[in-house]
Amino acid sequence: MAAASVRSRRRPRLGDRAVSFILSGLVIAALAVFFLLPVLAILWRSFDVQGGAGLGNYATTLSDPRIWELIGNSLGMAGLSAIGAVTLSYFYAYALQRTNVVGKSILRMVVMAPLFAPSLIQAQGLIFLLGRNGIFNRFLGFEIDIYGFWGVAIANTLYTFPYAFLILSAALAVADARLYEGAIVMGAKPWKIFRTVTLPSTRYGIAAAIFVAFSLSITDFGNAIVIGGDFSVLATEIYNKVIGQAQFHLGAVIGVVLLVPAALSKLIVGYISKRQHSQVTDKSVALQVRPNRRRDLAYGAYATLIAILFLSIPLIVFFASLVKLWPYNMTLTLEHYAFDVQNGTEPLWNSIGVALATATLGVVAVFIASIVTMKFRTPLSGPISFLSTLPASIPGMVLGLGYVLAFNSLANPLNFLYGTFPLIVLLYIYYNHAQGFLITTTSLKQVSATFDEASTMLGAGAMRTLFKVTLPLLWPTLLGVGVFFFMRAMVSLSAVIFLITPQTQVAAVSVLQLADRGATNQAAAFSVCIMAIVLLMLLIVRGILWLVGARGVTLIR
Amino acid sequence: MKLQTLSVISALMMSTAATAGELTIYTSYEEDEAAAFLDLAREAMPDVEMNMLRLSQGDLVARIIAEQGNPQHDLLWGFAASAIVNPQIEKTLEPYAPDGVKQIPAQFRSPEDKWFAVSGYMAAFCVNNERLKDKGLEMPTSWADLTDPAFKGEVVMPNPASSGTGYIQISSLLQMMGEEDGWAFLDKLDKNVAQYIKSGSKPCHAASAGEYVVGASYDMRAIKNINEGYPITMVIPSEGSGNELEANALVASSDNKEDAKRFLDWTVTPEAATAYGKWKAIVTMPGGEKPQEFLDAGLPQDTSDVLHPTDFAAAAEDRTAIISEWEKRYER
Repeated sequence: MAAASVRSRRRPRLGDRAVSFILSGLVIAALAVFFLLPVLAILWRSFDVQGGAGLGNYATTLSDPRIWELIGNSLGMAGLSAIGAVTLSYFYAYALQRTNVVGKSILRMVVMAPLFAPSLIQAQGLIFLLGRNGIFNRFLGFEIDIYGFWGVAIANTLYTFPYAFLILSAALAVADARLYEGAIVMGAKPWKIFRTVTLPSTRYGIAAAIFVAFSLSITDFGNAIVIGGDFSVLATEIYNKVIGQAQFHLGAVIGVVLLVPAALSKLIVGYISKRQHSQVTDKSVALQVRPNRRRDLAYGAYATLIAILFLSIPLIVFFASLVKLWPYNMTLTLEHYAFDVQNGTEPLWNSIGVALATATLGVVAVFIASIVTMKFRTPLSGPISFLSTLPASIPGMVLGLGYVLAFNSLANPLNFLYGTFPLIVLLYIYYNHAQGFLITTTSLKQVSATFDEASTMLGAGAMRTLFKVTLPLLWPTLLGVGVFFFMRAMVSLSAVIFLITPQTQVAAVSVLQLADRGATNQAAAFSVCIMAIVLLMLLIVRGILWLVGARGVTLIR
Repeated sequence: MKLQTLSVISALMMSTAATAGELTIYTSYEEDEAAAFLDLAREAMPDVEMNMLRLSQGDLVARIIAEQGNPQHDLLWGFAASAIVNPQIEKTLEPYAPDGVKQIPAQFRSPEDKWFAVSGYMAAFCVNNERLKDKGLEMPTSWADLTDPAFKGEVVMPNPASSGTGYIQISSLLQMMGEEDGWAFLDKLDKNVAQYIKSGSKPCHAASAGEYVVGASYDMRAIKNINEGYPITMVIPSEGSGNELEANALVASSDNKEDAKRFLDWTVTPEAATAYGKWKAIVTMPGGEKPQEFLDAGLPQDTSDVLHPTDFAAAAEDRTAIISEWEKRYER
C-alpha cells in the first residue's frame, strides 16, 4: 500500500504493468508455439483413428493388461530411483553445505559426472562394471546379473542424482542462523534440530527434487533400453510402438498415459510449495558451520564413498576408450580417437554451436519466465508457471516427435524451421525448460520480497529493481542455469533423434550410432570428447568468474 | 567454433529443402558401409552435393511417415524390402528402372519398377567361444540346438517389433515350419531366451562382449566382430537362414529427379557391385568376389545354399499379424 502511494506521486513512466504484460505475453506465446503446439500435435494424433477422431486408440491400449504391468513397472522403478536419488543426494548436499568436509569443490564436481555424457554411455559404464562379463563378475568372481528392474533403478538413481543434488544443494545453501541458535539455546539435540529446522526449511527443495527425479526416471529411455533387458517400462514401449511399428497414434496414447503420474507428482509439489516461506530476509544471519570433528568424519566418509561410485563410471568409460578391445584385449591404444567415421568430428562442432545457442537463449527464456511468475505478477503468471514446469513431464522422445508432427506440416507458418539447427536449439530449450525454471524460481523464492519492497519504496520501478537488485543476487544462479542448458544440449539424445537431418548431425546421436554399430570403444571415445568439452566449458566460465573477482560462486547449482 | 555458432544463428534464414545439384539420401546401410559406398558415389558424381541420413530401419520408417506432409529426401538407399512394400512407404515412390537393372533377377525387383534390391543380409548367430567353454556347452549349429535346456538364460535375440533382423528370423522360422509348428517351436525357444533386445546388431555385441553365449543376429555383424578380434564364431543356422533385401528407390516428391536418377543408375554399375561385394554377404548383381575374410569367418562362397527361400511378399504382408502374435506370446 505504501509502495503504491509513493509511486503515485511520481512521474508516470512506461508502466511496470505494461512491461509485465508484454513480457508475459512473449513468454506465453513462445511456450505455446514451441511447447504446447507439439504436445497438442501428439494429443491430436492420439485421438486420430481411422475415419475421424475418437477414443479408439485409448480403448485398444488400455484394455491390454500389458499396459497396466508397464505402468506398475514404471511407477515402481521411478519411485525407487527418485527416493534413492533424493535421499542419497540430500545427505551429500548436507555434507557439502552444512559440514566441514574437505575437498568440497572436487566432491561437487564428481557427482556431476552423469550430466557430462549421454545417458547411454553411463548405462554402458555400469555394464562394463557390473555386467555378466563386467569387471566384478569377470575378475572378482561375483555372479551379478544387472539386467532388469535393479539395473534400471540403479542407473536412473545415478542419472537423476545430480539433478536432485543441484536443487537440494541450493535449498541447503541458505539458512537463517538465528533459527539454529534458537534451537541450540533451547537445548535441542542435533537430530531434533535436523527434523524440526533443517528438514522443514528445505521442504520445497525436497519436493522439487523428488518431482524432477521421478519425472526424469519415468521418462528416461536410454538407461532402460541399454540395461533393462526384458524389463519394459512405458518409455521403452513408446519406442517399440513408434520406432519399430511406426504406430504414432498408439505411441501418442502411451505418451499421454505417461503424463498422469508426472502430473500427479507435480500437484503434490504445488501443494507443499504453498506453505513455503522466504528463508532469507533482510534480518537473516548467514549460518556459519560450526566445527565438529566426528560429524565431519562421518559425512566425509559418506561423501567419499558416493564420489568413488560416481567417479568409477566415467573412469571405466575413459579406460574402455583407451583399450584395443574390451574386455579381451586390454592393450592401450589411441586408435579409437581417430574418428574415421562418417562426418568425422563435425558433429562435435555442431553440438558446441547448438549448445552455446541453447545456453544463451535458454537462460533468457527461463529468467523471463521466472520473473513474470514470481515478481511481475499478472493474470498470466499462473498459466506460465504451469506451462513452464510441464516439459519435465514430457519424455524427450515424445516432445521430439511432436516437433516433427507440428513443424513439418506445411500448414505451420514456422515450417521453414524444420531441418535447421534453430529448431533443435528451441527443442533443447523447451525440453529442459522445467529444470532451468525450477532452479531459477527456487533461488528467486529465497530472495525475499522485502528487498523488492525496499527498492520499490525508494522509488525504483520494477525494471530498475530487476536490474539493480534481483539480477545482482541471481546472476551466479543464472550462469549455472546456462551451464546446465549447455550440458543438456551436449548430451541429450532421445529428444533430437527425430530432428536430425544429414545437415544437422549432433554429437550425442553419433555416440548412439557408434554404440549401435558395435563400436563400443569408439562410442566411449566420442563420449570422452563430449565430457571434455563440457568440462572445458565449466573451466572457462569459472575462469571468467575468477577474473571478474566473483570468488566463492557455486557454478553448477 | 565461431563459424559453427554463426551458422547456427544464420541458419534461421535458411531453408534446407534440396535444390538442384543437391541430393538428400535416407539409408539403413550400416554406418561404415554407407560411408564407404557414399565416398564412391561422390567420386562418380562430383558435381552433386550429397547429404546422407543413416538411421536404423525402424527409425527410418517412422521418420518417413512422420515427414510425409513434407518429405525431405530424394532417394531411399539400402532400405529393407519388407518395409519398402509397406503401403505408406510405397505410395511415396516413383517408378524408375535404371539401364542396368535388368541384370538383377526379377524376384529382387518391384514388378512396377518402384524399387530394386542390390544387396541383402541374412540371419546368423554370434557364439562366444570363451563363454561357451566356461559353461561346458557344445557349439550350436541350428535353431533347434538353441532349444536345448542347457542354453537356458544364455541366448539373446532381437525383438521383432523394433528390429528388422529380429523380424526376418521369426518370419523365416514360421515360413519354413508352418504356422502351428512354427509357433510351437518359438514357444520352446522362448524358454531359453534371456533377453529380447531391441536392435538386430546388439545381440551379437552382447555375445561378443561375453555377456551371453549366443546372440542371434546377422551375417555381417558376426564377420565384422570376428575381424575386430572378439572370440566369437559365426553360425549360420542349418535349417536355412532368414534373409532380407536392401532396396533403392526414387522418391516421387524429389525436386532433383535428374540427379536422383543418375544416382540410381550408379547403384547398378559394375563399379558399385564390386563395392557391395566387399561389404555384403548377399549381392544380387553378378560380379564381385567375396573377400577372403568373409570366407574365413565361415561364409559359404555361394550363399544361396544356406538361405531360406524367403517369400518376401508374404513376409511384408504378414508383418503386423506376426508381430502382434509374437508380442502376445513373448513380450515381457
